[in-house]
Amino acid sequence: MATNAKPSLTWASATKIAWREVRASRTKFLFVILSVAIGVAALTGVRGFSDSFQTTLLGEARTIMAADLSARMFRQPTEDEEKELNAMAAHGIQRTEVTDTVSMVSSPGDPVPLLVSLKAVDPRRYPFYGTVDLAPAGDLRQVLTDATVVVAEDLLIRLHTQVGASLKIGDSTFRIAGILVREPDRLSSGMGLGPRVMKTQSALEKSGLLQQGSRSGERFLFKLSPNSGSIAKVRARLEQVLPDAQVTDFRESNPALTDGLKRSTGLLSLICLVAMVLGAIGVAMAMRAHLQQRIEVLAIMKSIGARSSDILRIYLLQTVLLGLVGGLVGVLFGLGVEWIFPALLGQLVPVQADLRLPWHSALAGLGTGILTTVLFCLPPLLQIRTVRPNLVLRRMVEEPSAEKNLWVRLREGKAQWITAVVILLGLGAIAAALSDSVVVGRWFAAALCALLAVILGVAALTLRLVRAFLARTRLHLRSSIRHGLANLYRPGNQSAAVLAALGVGVMLILTVFLMQHGVLGEMRATSGPDLPNVFLVDISSRELDGVKHLLAQQPAVQGDLETLPSVAGRIISVDGTPADGLKLKNYPRRLLQTVSLTWSQALPVGSTMVAGSWWDNYDTQSLAVTERLAQRLNLHLGSRLVLTSNGRTIQATVSALIRHDGQHVFSRSEFILTPKALAGLPVVWYGAVHVDPRQVGTVQRALFNSYPTVTVINIADVIETIQKVVQQITVVVRFLAGFSILSGVVILASSIASTHFRRVREVVVLKTLGAKRNHIAVVFSVEFIVLGLLAGLVGVIFANLLSRVLLHRLDVAFHVEWMATAVALVGTAVLATVTGWAASFRILGQKPLQVLREE
Amino acid sequence: MIEVRGLKKSIRNGTTTVEILKHIDLLIPAGQFVAIMGASGSGKSTLLGLLAGLDSPTEGEVLIDGTEISHLPEDKLAEVRGRKVGFVFQSFQLIPTLTALENVLLPHELNGSSDGRPGDGRAAAADLLRSVGLADRMHHYPIQLSGGEQQRVALARAFILKPPIIFADEPTGNLDSENGAHILDLLLQRNRASGATLVLVTHDAQVSSHADRRIVLRDGTIVEDQMQRPA
Repeated sequence: MATNAKPSLTWASATKIAWREVRASRTKFLFVILSVAIGVAALTGVRGFSDSFQTTLLGEARTIMAADLSARMFRQPTEDEEKELNAMAAHGIQRTEVTDTVSMVSSPGDPVPLLVSLKAVDPRRYPFYGTVDLAPAGDLRQVLTDATVVVAEDLLIRLHTQVGASLKIGDSTFRIAGILVREPDRLSSGMGLGPRVMKTQSALEKSGLLQQGSRSGERFLFKLSPNSGSIAKVRARLEQVLPDAQVTDFRESNPALTDGLKRSTGLLSLICLVAMVLGAIGVAMAMRAHLQQRIEVLAIMKSIGARSSDILRIYLLQTVLLGLVGGLVGVLFGLGVEWIFPALLGQLVPVQADLRLPWHSALAGLGTGILTTVLFCLPPLLQIRTVRPNLVLRRMVEEPSAEKNLWVRLREGKAQWITAVVILLGLGAIAAALSDSVVVGRWFAAALCALLAVILGVAALTLRLVRAFLARTRLHLRSSIRHGLANLYRPGNQSAAVLAALGVGVMLILTVFLMQHGVLGEMRATSGPDLPNVFLVDISSRELDGVKHLLAQQPAVQGDLETLPSVAGRIISVDGTPADGLKLKNYPRRLLQTVSLTWSQALPVGSTMVAGSWWDNYDTQSLAVTERLAQRLNLHLGSRLVLTSNGRTIQATVSALIRHDGQHVFSRSEFILTPKALAGLPVVWYGAVHVDPRQVGTVQRALFNSYPTVTVINIADVIETIQKVVQQITVVVRFLAGFSILSGVVILASSIASTHFRRVREVVVLKTLGAKRNHIAVVFSVEFIVLGLLAGLVGVIFANLLSRVLLHRLDVAFHVEWMATAVALVGTAVLATVTGWAASFRILGQKPLQVLREE
Repeated sequence: MIEVRGLKKSIRNGTTTVEILKHIDLLIPAGQFVAIMGASGSGKSTLLGLLAGLDSPTEGEVLIDGTEISHLPEDKLAEVRGRKVGFVFQSFQLIPTLTALENVLLPHELNGSSDGRPGDGRAAAADLLRSVGLADRMHHYPIQLSGGEQQRVALARAFILKPPIIFADEPTGNLDSENGAHILDLLLQRNRASGATLVLVTHDAQVSSHADRRIVLRDGTIVEDQMQRPA
């Protein structure tokens, strides 16, 4: 017989059939479209908002440095360096110079001079980000001229002078043009000695204050333009051009802020991925249920000559169509959510994210919606191939298959395996493309693969166990319970699919919750309301107790004074190499001459151990250094340092590498030794305390009255900025996580509900046989509860594992949340039962004949 | 011509395997009208399904015009079904989302026109529907048609590609006597006018009396094979 190749069903005919089916089952497909739409909406909304939000937050982070990049050094650039820096300017990289030095000033009416920390800026360019706030209010460019200075309020207090008066610096006299209320880069410019005085660069040059060897530090601030290249690239170039400059970028300016940003980006990425997968699960479940219902139609088509590829074409078109419509609805909905956000958040936090129309997010959402819909629908679509045309003659046919071994089954299921690999690859690619956090994307895809494998195993094992259990207890169980359990493994049931969908869903939702809990907890801890916002510099040992006592009596002061002892020292050698010969990486060699040594018996508050261990009480030789310093000085665990201070030689071995959170007084320390190593040496103390931001002036005056030489640095405004930003992150993350969890629950509920079609026939048969409603209710409940508990169990185990890995990767501590885990477990069983019932309840009330006629 | 050699079919029912067809040998010449009879569970529908390539046997083979079809790959089988076989079911089995005309047209669309048939199957489908008395019901959906009308649409669908063999599984089983007689007339007309082989499963002795040959099955074996009139 001739069996020459023939064209398959045309696209036009396939489209017509696909469209007719969609039209005929509007309600069912409405759910599919909604599933895709919810996933895509969450994706578009979260991603778009995340983009805008990050831009805003990064802008805030830049203001703390007043620039994108800063290079700190203790000398002027050489001619060659200057040439290179000018070449960089040609790429749109703006530069300005800030000089920090100390000087003596005096007021004409008060002959006693005062040591101040002098900052010289070019007001035409400085600051690149943020603003300098003055009192009375004014623009720095107009107020600060070569003939004027702006000063901190405590200078006026100490010199008993006022705005408008004169101030003598060196040999020149300047007019005090205003009070310096806030300078954006106060944290970056270091803890100078004495109150702040700001003047122009040109006035500083003219004054002749900067002699060779004077104690001044230069900071070059850089601002990038869109065509300057990435910040990492520019930074690398700067480190090359200025080899002994300390180059930092704005992301390092405040660890709390940048860590918060990193963590919230990770979390938002996770939420995106979760939304996507949950939507896809909803669609796959609905498509599966749909195809099961259409099985007879598929058999009819096959019996009149349709090939699997013809039918596949119809349903693939249908899937793409549904993905497209759902995607479009989702994008619109997502954009709506995004535009509504500021209105919602505006009432909660004062600063709003700068929203832009996220075309990128919208297109990504739409593409992802279609792609995931098609990917997740592949398994049910491929099952079309297994539909036998003889179903038109005989509904349930099971071929002898028990004899086939695993290898044969694996070989026969080749297409399914290939599909699984395609789905996983596709999912991994989507996760990588979607996730702004590489860590989250990678681990998410891995966990999902592992979970699917385990769930399939668990489903198979459970069904075997239930079967074995039933075989032993068959006669002792109530018939309704027996029937309920038997339902889990009857031929053609969807237990494994529902178990997988529900288990993955529970894992995703609980992971979002656990991550949100961990990340927000950590952020609250690193930007809490009682963190130090006022720093005290130059407290002598004699004054320390008095200062503590005075502060303790101030009502505006919250908590105790954190103190840091500082002993001036010098590095002699590292691992036998003298300081002059050390290979340094972006560390001014001059700094080796004046290092600040400190001691602590325990790991200080706000510091974390990166490597090594802390010392015990008897140790005198150990040394802890910060991770960043170790990189710059080329130190490692076991490095032997020889230091000197006041004529004493101190031998120390690096035993711990630590990281500071930037929020506590010990964040100012770089070399921490044992108390015994520094015992008896002259000490200057630094202090940090939290003061009610509105009362800082009062505390400052009280301190000055009793301890005039102690300098107070007020960073309350900076801390407030950080707290505000962290609060914004918290609100947004809560909202988005809540949205994602809620949409997940809805999609899961609908997935369970989609299995109700197969129950119709069963209820009818049971009723025809005389079963009462109660009996049927117990049968279904047993099935739902067991299914829910199993899925919940697998889901919570994996959620805890995944959260543990992800939180660890984001440097956040993980604690098992027993309550949340228990609620998730029980909640899944309840959800499965309630939604199962919500979908099946109507069936119970139907008359058998009514259904049979429809059949 | 249909040739069946040593055909066996078993299905698995839970832990037990049931033999539905035990050892069937059969030869049906082209153009013959064969009625297959037997009690419920005797294996009639299973035999019909195997002859039409809707299922594959556990053992043995089925040859249509000399080509062994029992172990053909699925797509080849689909091609055979499309070109050689028209099938009529007891419960009509129309696609509910397609109109009467579109249902009839579907085999044409699935099998294309590469064998030289006129490309426009629409005219042929409409002619067929007219010939079965459904000129004014062409654009109705199955749910809008009576049982008799649905079965006539199913007949038109089975005839559209002018298949040399028509299999019918209790085609009158769900119809009243008037509609049943009408359907049988149409099938006989096809058998006689175009020389198509007709293999029909029925319980109805009245229906089987029109056949050239009567085969009776019991417990999966042929217990009677009788010529009623020369083919």
